[in-house]
Amino acid sequence: MARKPKPEKVDVCIIGAGASGGTAAKVLTESGVNVVALERGPYRKKESFGGDELANVNRYNLWPDPILNPRTYRGSNDEEPREELFCPVPQMVGGGTVHWQGWLPRFTENDFRLKTVAGEVPGTTLVDWPISYEDLEPYYTKVEWAFGVSGQAGANKYESPRSKGYPTPPMPTTNYARKFHEGCNELGYDSFPTPMAALSEPYNGRPATALSAFAQQHGDPTGTRSSALSVWVPQALVTGRYDLRPDCYVHEITTDEHGRAKSAIYQDADGDFIEQEAAVFMLGCGAVESARLLLLSRSGRFPNGLANGSDLVGRNATFHEYSAAVGVFDDPIHAWAGGGYVAASSFEFYEHDDSRGFVGGSHIAAAGVGIPLPINWSLPDRPAWGAEAKRMDREYYDHSFAVGMVLHDMPQHDNRVELDDTVEDAWGLPVARITLNPHENDLAMGRWVIDRNAEILDAAGATKTYRVYPERVTGNCSHQHSTTRMGDDPDTSVLNRYCQAHEVDNLFVVDGGPFPTATGANPTLTIMANAWRVAEHVVRQRGSGRATTTAGKGA
Amino acid sequence: MSEQENGGRLFFDEHQWATVEAAMARIIPTDDQPGAREAGTAEFLDRYLSGIDYVYAKPDGSGFEKLEGKRAGAWRQRIDALRGKYAEGIEELDRRSRARFDRDFVELSEDQQDEALAEMERPEQQKDLEQAQVATGYGAPPEPAMQQTSTEIELDFFPLLALHTRQGFYSDPVYGGNRDRVGWRLIGFEGPESLAETHAGRYTTRPFFAEEQIDWKKENGHGS
Ligand SMILES: Cc1cc2nc3c(=O)[nH]c(=O)nc-3n(C[C@H](O)[C@H](O)[C@H](O)COP(=O)(O)OP(=O)(O)OC[C@H]3O[C@@H](n4cnc5c(N)ncnc54)[C@H](O)[C@@H]3O)c2cc1C
Repeated sequence: MARKPKPEKVDVCIIGAGASGGTAAKVLTESGVNVVALERGPYRKKESFGGDELANVNRYNLWPDPILNPRTYRGSNDEEPREELFCPVPQMVGGGTVHWQGWLPRFTENDFRLKTVAGEVPGTTLVDWPISYEDLEPYYTKVEWAFGVSGQAGANKYESPRSKGYPTPPMPTTNYARKFHEGCNELGYDSFPTPMAALSEPYNGRPATALSAFAQQHGDPTGTRSSALSVWVPQALVTGRYDLRPDCYVHEITTDEHGRAKSAIYQDADGDFIEQEAAVFMLGCGAVESARLLLLSRSGRFPNGLANGSDLVGRNATFHEYSAAVGVFDDPIHAWAGGGYVAASSFEFYEHDDSRGFVGGSHIAAAGVGIPLPINWSLPDRPAWGAEAKRMDREYYDHSFAVGMVLHDMPQHDNRVELDDTVEDAWGLPVARITLNPHENDLAMGRWVIDRNAEILDAAGATKTYRVYPERVTGNCSHQHSTTRMGDDPDTSVLNRYCQAHEVDNLFVVDGGPFPTATGANPTLTIMANAWRVAEHVVRQRGSGRATTTAGKGA
Repeated sequence: MSEQENGGRLFFDEHQWATVEAAMARIIPTDDQPGAREAGTAEFLDRYLSGIDYVYAKPDGSGFEKLEGKRAGAWRQRIDALRGKYAEGIEELDRRSRARFDRDFVELSEDQQDEALAEMERPEQQKDLEQAQVATGYGAPPEPAMQQTSTEIELDFFPLLALHTRQGFYSDPVYGGNRDRVGWRLIGFEGPESLAETHAGRYTTRPFFAEEQIDWKKENGHGS
């Protein structure tokens, strides 16, 4: 095999071209920094996407194929791990944003100080964040306006102060959003249009988002939704400073004699190994894969993985859990319209309230049942086959919707991502093993919120409701956080408040890994806002000659 | 090509085809409206098991993707595993039918077929099945699927058959099932005319949104 020439050293190497890596790339390249992006998956263009439930939802057209990319899971340290597709996220340029529908609420002020608000929770490692809502607020605004988020400022009574509204008004009202709103009104609960990664009208040279049944879990053939693929990547490319290399799987980050990150060793599409040096490394692989990559990067100086002297890399992992109450109605709901997730939300149960008997709270929102398309639709008491199953499909498919919750799972020391001892992926690397035992607080919150959700459905006129209580955390939201916590104390955190490794000053993590807690809301707006903040910090540091002093060349 | 020699069949032999078709017709029976038989779910499955040529339709509906590299390898492995499960599962179904009713499955009455199938879905498998479905949010799970994909090769013959029947009934017609969109019509899913419609952005679900928009600021009374 002909050896490929070693590429030139670059200012910043970003690993991953998803939500976080894409945001960082946009900010860095627009500030004049040269970036090499190594993305393990393909660069799929909008032409390769379509409205095909079988391919997209059931046959791993976009989801990782578990034969190639398995993960293992166990409920506690004493259990035998078993292969399970725990918390999968698409691996391709755009990452998890390629086939989401994108609910993008902001966190609230108390999310950044829940320990102060709620106190110690035995068995957990609950902490306050080292940064506040105020620190992030300018970046929330930047992301909402640059990415394109539809919503209505002030509609959510519980939202924290914002400096600016949304660039475009809420998406059109779906029938399930309306029903949810009616149920909430009936009970005196506040509700609001879910802020979404979509454009309700043309904005910034982009057309309004197409309304299709094939949205959640489908790529967007029209390129009109807001995603890293359709927004950040093109914006970074247009600067001419974004060297995006798809199909390049990073196996290891090496260190130099000073213990600083030196290079990324990756395998390209031909199977060749290449070494990319950079002055600064940013990990945006998603919280599971970033932790895995650090753990894979062992050296004499870091025998337990890069930046892992504290043994905290991979620990305190949180994933949320999506669970729902489901209602059946006499009138048609058409929950498949708009992909089932053009929704309405409530933060009525979001803030902590001692009287509920658990800590924290949850974002709830209306949605189609499961994937709102026919193959994957079901109800809890629908038999697997036969005349009765057919009857239920016929009578309830178009007449049902769910009120879902984002479960705010508590961080625990032993809930973690490690390298599996026996299972390898198709590239011969040990896969991520997830150990996760839900805390009693998680389950109590799940029961309580699902009961409220069922009441909302009843109040909205459901003829029948089901309560699906979460029994464990399965990672079914594709949300991942906290495996490389940020904090001020190197004994209790992996990264500092700028998401820079305490032990390796030219290494940053920008995905959900730095989140000290999961919060009860969808994470990606905050992931992107935080990535923007960190990227600005890197630009500033570079200007002041720190962190990048060893850069080969300026931009 | 073999499609002709084999009466349109790509993978199943005649008996296997007849057995699968009969079983599928009990999984989604025909009543006053079409069922699995009319939708062509056996053809859907036969195509799926024929190799890796029908795994992904091209997104504009103009044929099927050619799989390459690791992806192709994974699919070969998966299809091989599924073929084995079907070949054995069909034999097992016949064995049970003969033990109980002295005849092959296809020759049983519908009620007898239901009994034979119910026995295949036997209690000790039930637990595994439910576990698999909770974990995968897939098929006809005891809980609604949330947001996660499946690992279907872990399923046993019967849950696989039920799943593939459902897929053949409700997937885009390009895969050989859901003929004349009978599945979609049955349940009121107003899907696109073809994959090309969605791909080109012509398909819209706007007419199925609420007639009246919510004026959130006004209705909430606390808008800014
Ligand atoms: C169906 C679905 C719906 C969702 N809906 C919502 C929602 O409504 N709201 C919300 O907030 N969030 C949602 N999410 C979650 C959201 O997608 C993630 O939070 C977000 O994408 C995380 O961003 P990230 O940058 O951390 O990781 P990703 O976007 O996953 O990007 C990581 C990238 O890194 C690459 N990578 C990983 N390891 C390596 C390596 N070793 N070498 C090279 N590249 C590597 C991956 O291939 C991937 O492309 C959804 C996810 C899915 C799957």
